[in-house]
Parts: sequence; C-alpha cells; structure tokens
Amino acid sequence: MTRYTLTRLALLLLGLLVSSVLIFLTLRVLPGDIAQLIAGTGSTPEQTEAIRERLGLNQPLPVQYLDWIAGVFRGDLGSSLLTGSSVTSELAEKAQVTVPLGIMSLTIALLFSLPFGVISAMRRGHGSGTALSVGAQALAAVPVVWAGMMLVVVFAVWLGWLPAQGFPRAGWNDPAAAIRSLLLPALTIGIVEGAMLMRFVRSATMQAVGQDYVRTAAAKGLTRNAALIRHGLPNVGLSVVTVLGLQVAGIIVGAVVIEQLFSLPGIGRMLVADVSARDLPKVQGELLVLTGFVLVIGFVVDLVHRMIDPRQREAT
Amino acid sequence: MLRRTALAATALLAAGALLLTACTGGGTSPTPSSSAEPDPDASAVIRLVLEPGNLDIRETSGAALDQILVDNIYQGLISRTAEQDIVPALAEDWDVSDDGLTYTFTLREGVTFHDGQELTPQDVVWSMTTRKNTPEWSDSSRLANVATIAADGQDIVLTLTEPDSSLLWNLTGRAGLILKEGDTVDYQTKANGTGPFVLDSWRQGDSITFTRNDAYWGEEAQVAEVVFDYIPDNQAALNAALAGEVDAVTGFDANLKEQIEATGEFSLVTGASTDKGTLAFNQAPGSPLADQRVRQAIRQAIDHDALVEALAAGETQYGPIPSLDPGYEDLSDVAPYDPEAARALLADADAEDLTVELTIPSFYSTTIPQILVSDLNEVGITLEVNSVDFPTWLNDVYTNKDYDLSFVLHTEARDFENWANPDYYFTYDNPEVQDLFAQSLAATDEGEAAALLADAARIVSEDAAADWLYTGASVVAVGTNITGMPSINVNERLNLAELAKSDG
Repeated sequence: MTRYTLTRLALLLLGLLVSSVLIFLTLRVLPGDIAQLIAGTGSTPEQTEAIRERLGLNQPLPVQYLDWIAGVFRGDLGSSLLTGSSVTSELAEKAQVTVPLGIMSLTIALLFSLPFGVISAMRRGHGSGTALSVGAQALAAVPVVWAGMMLVVVFAVWLGWLPAQGFPRAGWNDPAAAIRSLLLPALTIGIVEGAMLMRFVRSATMQAVGQDYVRTAAAKGLTRNAALIRHGLPNVGLSVVTVLGLQVAGIIVGAVVIEQLFSLPGIGRMLVADVSARDLPKVQGELLVLTGFVLVIGFVVDLVHRMIDPRQREAT
Repeated sequence: MLRRTALAATALLAAGALLLTACTGGGTSPTPSSSAEPDPDASAVIRLVLEPGNLDIRETSGAALDQILVDNIYQGLISRTAEQDIVPALAEDWDVSDDGLTYTFTLREGVTFHDGQELTPQDVVWSMTTRKNTPEWSDSSRLANVATIAADGQDIVLTLTEPDSSLLWNLTGRAGLILKEGDTVDYQTKANGTGPFVLDSWRQGDSITFTRNDAYWGEEAQVAEVVFDYIPDNQAALNAALAGEVDAVTGFDANLKEQIEATGEFSLVTGASTDKGTLAFNQAPGSPLADQRVRQAIRQAIDHDALVEALAAGETQYGPIPSLDPGYEDLSDVAPYDPEAARALLADADAEDLTVELTIPSFYSTTIPQILVSDLNEVGITLEVNSVDFPTWLNDVYTNKDYDLSFVLHTEARDFENWANPDYYFTYDNPEVQDLFAQSLAATDEGEAAALLADAARIVSEDAAADWLYTGASVVAVGTNITGMPSINVNERLNLAELAKSDG
C-alpha cells in the first residue's frame, strides 16, 4: 500500500511538471500580447515596445518559464501584469464563490442522482423506471446555458424569489444573500451534471443486479431488491466515487460558463477575463492550481478506491 | 467549439425572446411620479459592459477607463460636455492668444485631491510635462506641439511650437488629466483625483464602487454611491433589469425596447455617439482591395439603411467623421446603395468571383457579418468571416496589418488623424488628405479648421478608404426614478455629476 501510494505520488508530481510546461507553451501560442492591449488602438509601435520591455515580455521563453517555475517551487505562483496582485490571493478571493458553488452543485447532483438512479434501475420495465430514465436522458442533453436561462426566468424574473445574477457585495458577511445568489447557478450545474450521474448510477446498479453475489443472496432467501441494497449498493458506491473525480473537472468547466451567465465573480469568470487580457503570468498560475486540484482529486479517488475495495487491496 | 457556442447562443436567444414576450404580457405597473425628491443617501447601480483591466489612467488605454474615471475621479484643466462643448474644470477660465501659440489657464484655488493633499500649480506643470515626456503614457503624443509648460502664480501658461486647433479638445481627455506630483498611490488598483467621486472599491470581475467626494470643490454629487456592475452578457443584464437589480443599463439592445418599457420601471433613452462602425479595407499593394473600384463596389453593395434598421439604433455614416464631430457633412451621395453599379465596378476591375476575408472581434453582434455576407454575395463577392478575440485582432490586424477587411467600432471622438497617418492599420496613404489635415490643425479659427477637415473627409470617402457601416447610438435603459443619467456617447465618457435617484 505504501509503495503504491509513493508511486502514485511520484506520478502526480510528474504530471504537474508536464502540465506546467504544456500550460506555459500553449498560452504562448495565443496571438497578441498584453502590451498591445495596454497600448490600444491609438498607440505607436514604439509605445507598445516600451511597455513590452518594462513588463519583461521580451525575455526568451526558457528564461520566462524557469523564472516562473522557480517561483512556484518557492511558493510564489506569480502575479498579474495588470494589477500586480498575486495569483494566490486572487484565487483565494474568487474561490469564495467557486468552491461553494462547486460543493452546492455536487450536493444537488448527488441528492437527486443517487436515489433516482437506483430507483430507475430497480424499477426498470415499470412505467416509472422508464420515465425516470428517459427524463434523465433528456436533462443530460440540455445545454447548461439554456437550463440556467429557464431557471432565471422562472425563479428570478417571474417569481422574484432569487437574484437573477451577481454576488452580494458584502460576500459571505451576508451568508443568506450569498447562498441565495448561488442557488440558481448551483441548481443549473447540479441538474445537468446530476442527470449524467444518474444514468451512470442506473447502469452501475443494473450491472450489480446481474452479479453472482446478488443472485446468491437472492437464492439464500433475500428478495431481489433487498439483496441488491445489501450487497449491490456498496459496489455501486465504488463506481460512483471513481466517476466523482471526473465530475469535479466537469463542474469546473461548468463554472466557467455559469459564472458568465450569472455574472458571478468566481474563478471561471476570472480565467476568461485574464485570457482575454493576455495576462499570461496570472493565467498560467491559475491553470496550474486548477490542474493540480484535478490531479490531486484523482489521486485521492484512487487511494479511497483501494481502501474501500478489498479486491484491490489484496491484489497488491 | 465555435459550433457549440453558436448553438448555445441561438438557444439562449430563442429562449430569451420567448420568455420576454411571456413575462411582459402581464399588466404594467404605474409609472412612479417623476416629481419625487432625489434621495441624497441613494446608491445607484449602473450596468456597464466592459470592465477595465486595471485602473492606470496614465498608461492603460481603453474607453473602459475613460468612461468611468475621467470627470468622475480625475479631472483636467478643462472638460467637455456630452454635447462636446469645451467647459472649465480645474481652470476657472482660459485664454488663447491671437496667433494660437500661447494658452493661459487660471487654476482654481482650494482644490484638494481625494487623499486631502492640495492641488498646486506645480502639480499641473508636472502632470503635463511628465505626460509629454513619457511615451508609454496614453495620448503623450497629443502634447507634441507644446514647447513649454510653466506656472505663474495661479496661471498655467502653455506655449506652442505651432498652432494646434485640436489642443483644447485633447486637454479635455487623457492628455490633460492632472495628477498629484510624486503621488504614491497604486494607480493600477486605486485612484487619487480631484473629481466629485472617490474610488471606494474595485471587486475585480464584478463591480467598481464610487462614493461621493464630500470635500469636492464644485457642486456635490447627488447620490451617496454609484456602483458600476460589470455584466458582459446582454441576457444577464436584461434579467438584472427585469428583476430590479440595476438602475440603469448601458449597451442595451434597442430591439428589446418594448419589453423593457412594458415593465413600467424603465424607459429607453437613445443618444448620439461617436462610435464609428468601421469596415477597414487593406489597400496595401498586392491586396485585392488595392483597387479603388473594388472598394467602391463593396461600399455600394452594402445596404446601410437596412443595417441600421436591423440594429434598431444609430444612423448611417458615409464618411470618416460622425455627426457629433466638427467637419461632418452628409456624404451619402458618395456611395449610395446600388448593387447594379457595384457589379459593373467589379467587372470593370476584373474582380468577379472575388473571395475576401473579414476579421471581426467576437464580441460584436453577429448581425453585422450576417448582413455583410448576404449583401456582398448579391454582387458576387464571397465573404469569409474570421471571428477572433480582441487581442488576436490587435495582433493580426492592428499591428501586423494582415487582413482583407476588418470591422471594429472606433469609439474615440475626433480621431480623423488616423486617416492622415499612412502607418495606421487603415493602410490609407493620400498626401492630399495628410496636407489638409495638417492645415486644419494649424488653423487658428475653429470654423476654418472644421471646413478643412470636411474637405479631407470627402476625399477619404471618395477614395473608398474604408466603409462606415453606421454611427452607433448610446442606448441606455434608465430607471424611471433616475435623473441626470447621461445619454450621449456613454461608451466614451459617463459623467455622473448630475445623477440623482429618488425613492419613487
């Protein structure tokens, strides 16, 4: 187990290093630079060049990369060329919106995908099971943007229960308002992600139904449903944990879209703005943290998987 | 990616249109009485589209900074009204010598910066001198004709190497802004000016808040606080308005006038602007557009009236100067809509079956490229649309001049100089125009300067140096309890000194 963990950890670090090179290079392929944006459409080439020089954009790429990565090892992810604020502090600020949004979305997704997924599998062949499964199929196909629009129109514009956009200026000092402003965005992501998750739970459950241990339990006198719940569900849970890792990445992508739609000052909206401003040192720092986050989740999921699955433990 | 975005946008539009009709079907609430007293403690929320990257008014270009920071936070010796008249600001008055070579401004006394420091004549001299001598600062070159800047008591005296009819105008913009000498404020995220509002906070990616400057030298602002809420998405902005979360919405889609007014909470105000929808032609040698006949054909193939109608706001503009600026004249006779004539011109130029590419930043309405593709297709030109993000446009079109056709909205007022600059991305080089522009700058009489500009503008239009698809309009949805919200040229300057909000 320890050896496995160490190998897995080494892989994680290697993954991060490779990501850092990829992130750095891909961003350098983008046309245009921040000096042109600062100078604008009334500028002379000399003016742009002077700004470029001052910002250090004329340094050779390997030098720029090594500067950055050396900083990362010292715990300094870099800072914005526009405002001078550090990537760490910017991320910490925007995470106050995106992290709760992600947690709420995931909770909503789980709350409705787990029970409905299991029920629709157990009641397959019945009208209600088919209806649930068709409904999930349809929901999963809905574009996030459209789902968001619908929710806004019903709950914000018609009923006036929840804000249509934005995050309270008082932030989490006004927790009720903060949660209210995140409810619609979280519902939007949660429903769409949840519908996908529900299909997954359904097929995992159906698979469990056909397993030998469920049949054996049924043969020993349990009803089919009782056998499934006692012996099948732990295995379903195992598969769900694995998918959750991927789901987290999906939620980050969802946040980029949803934060635009609801104009929430979160990490997704910041990333879009920073890319459009070609504030590359800031973007690369942010992307590295996000990549790191997804890799760490994968790492943890793998470890958890090993811990709760006796078959894998013994295989080592 | 592009297809998904397009799909999403279509779905969004369809849903938006449907739901709007649905929710405005109900009764309208009564219009609040306009006689309600302004509330001095009010906080007004204004939706803006484009957030500044940083707040450095010295160096960072972009109308997003001028829009909120000039007049409200930072001031110059003189300023301009929405109607484009030049008025006193930090100078009580000014005088220009008959030969146009000496400008004398009388600086107000008792003016303080937001941090409490006093404004001195030396601050004025330092601000202008530093700007002139620092090429990285915006509009530095606009002070090129200024030879000396000196203070004599409260008098600030500028002497020029040659007359410059655009100097006063330039001093109402960035080139004339007065900062505190040796100020240690972090200009990128903070501000320290002399205006009626103080920068309170900037929540990046969200909003900027100004509060009233209680120590202001002039008449105090009528609201306690203004919040600029940056909502890039038009649908989100509309929802915010319908849900009563904002008091005014700039950049409103004029096509939604009836829906928003049916709420009874807003009225739509349309003002003039100097936003010039400029379709630039790359006419460098070797380009298919180097031939004037081809450019003229494109201009005559475009139905400008239909385009303005589709945008539901703005007006046609057939030359480089919009109607708000001096030197404007109606040039519709130069390129009337005539697909027949366009086809004949193309045949004449041996340019049938032409394929050209349009480079357009992705944040503009897709209505524009759609109409262009269809109009040009009528006369046998295939237009390929290359939608890019703004930094890419800056790199490919502005810097490298690597394009056939380009569309952007040039918002700056009085920017004819670009047509007299052969190095500008317009790639337009006509010595006669350059000469007329130089004469106009050197003219000491305003009327004469404008007449010379008008002559130059006619030549630019006759050369088909570009096409001007339309002059934009400032479309603002204003809450019925709001007064004093500017309506002219709000993308460029949004002076909120008169803004008031009542409880109504």
